Amino acid sequence: MRAFLLACIATIVIGAVGYFTLDAMQQPSGVAYATDGARIDPSWSWRATAARPCEPRHVWQWFFVDLRRPRGEPDICSVSQ
Amino acid sequence: MAMAHARIRLIVAAIGFLIVAALAAAPAAAQQPNSVNPTASAVKEQQLLQQNYRIQGLGSIPDVKSYVIEQPMGRTWRLFHEVWLHWFGAIILLGVIAVLLVFYLVRGVIRIEGGRSGRMIPRFNSLERVTHWMTAVSFVILGVTGLNITFGKDLLLPLIGPDAFSRWSIMAKYAHNYSSFPFVLGVVVIFVMWVKEAIFTAVDIRWFIEGGGMFGHKHPAAWKLNGGQKVQFWSAVLGTIGVAGSGLFLLFPFYFTDIYGMQIAQMIHALIAMLFVGLIFAHIYIGSLGIEGGFEGMASGEVDLNWAKQHHSLWLEQELGQGRAAAPPAGATTRPAS
Repeated sequence: MRAFLLACIATIVIGAVGYFTLDAMQQPSGVAYATDGARIDPSWSWRATAARPCEPRHVWQWFFVDLRRPRGEPDICSVSQ
Repeated sequence: MAMAHARIRLIVAAIGFLIVAALAAAPAAAQQPNSVNPTASAVKEQQLLQQNYRIQGLGSIPDVKSYVIEQPMGRTWRLFHEVWLHWFGAIILLGVIAVLLVFYLVRGVIRIEGGRSGRMIPRFNSLERVTHWMTAVSFVILGVTGLNITFGKDLLLPLIGPDAFSRWSIMAKYAHNYSSFPFVLGVVVIFVMWVKEAIFTAVDIRWFIEGGGMFGHKHPAAWKLNGGQKVQFWSAVLGTIGVAGSGLFLLFPFYFTDIYGMQIAQMIHALIAMLFVGLIFAHIYIGSLGIEGGFEGMASGEVDLNWAKQHHSLWLEQELGQGRAAAPPAGATTRPAS
């Protein structure tokens, strides 16, 4: 009985070591199985864009390919998916 | 001249007949199936899929696994996982249980002939027992959680419902991953401890020829591990190499191989695991219900002298020669070892 109890404790302890080992080495399955190039940034959404209005670009900016961002404009206006 | 006219008329008539026949046949020909197969492109794709295990394109992003467009092996793998593995597992596990049941009904418990002597002899030390039970406990966790992946959806889901099954399956998946560590470590220690005892010798051939004492009342000689235990030992070692090796591919997806390699790894993992569970069913039966006194070796570490004489006579002689037999326990009914 004592050998069995010791074995159970050893199983739990070594299992915990396994937990920390895998936690350090494994990627989350959502990352491991996803395709990098097509992964969606969950922090980005159209609703967020609408909530924080972006400054419309002028025609001359497009014409001269002026891609500068107006001062103070949030990143979300320029970085799209 | 008239002859020539007649020939000309005949030729004209023949040409006229051919033209009329051709015109008459034209609508019929128009009703024949088009010679261009409208599904030709699909056929070509299917042929392509048969020739190649996947269709892969070119891409500009760093993640090369995204270049795989179609992989028909995925359908084969799903068929394996959803159909073939169920049948294979059911046949192996129920088959082993049926064989053991029939054996139990026919042969019954293999008793200690002559009864217990009351004298005990140490068989397994503390390290051996703790390692054995650690491996056993983790194997049971691995077996139950692993079988849940194959059979849980069919057997457990209808009983406990989707919510409970989902929670249980998530816990089971993590328990499966973590308990693999003590299991593999246990088998490694067992290998180191018993490998010298597990090498096959001529004694084992004799043991197998005589059926290991399972049939009739012959008790073939054996050292510390008999032929059957050696088969068990090497099956467990090789099985662990198989499941642990293939399990690494599943624990670390895309680290070592692509999706095709992972599908193969999962198939190997599942097939070996099913055989392994079947093997352990037999091991549990023999070590508990099948042979009287067999369980004591792993429970208390000591076995009765008559049990040892019956099942491991060469080992007993060796141990007695070294003076390892203990005195009878206090209050035990002492009978001499025959």
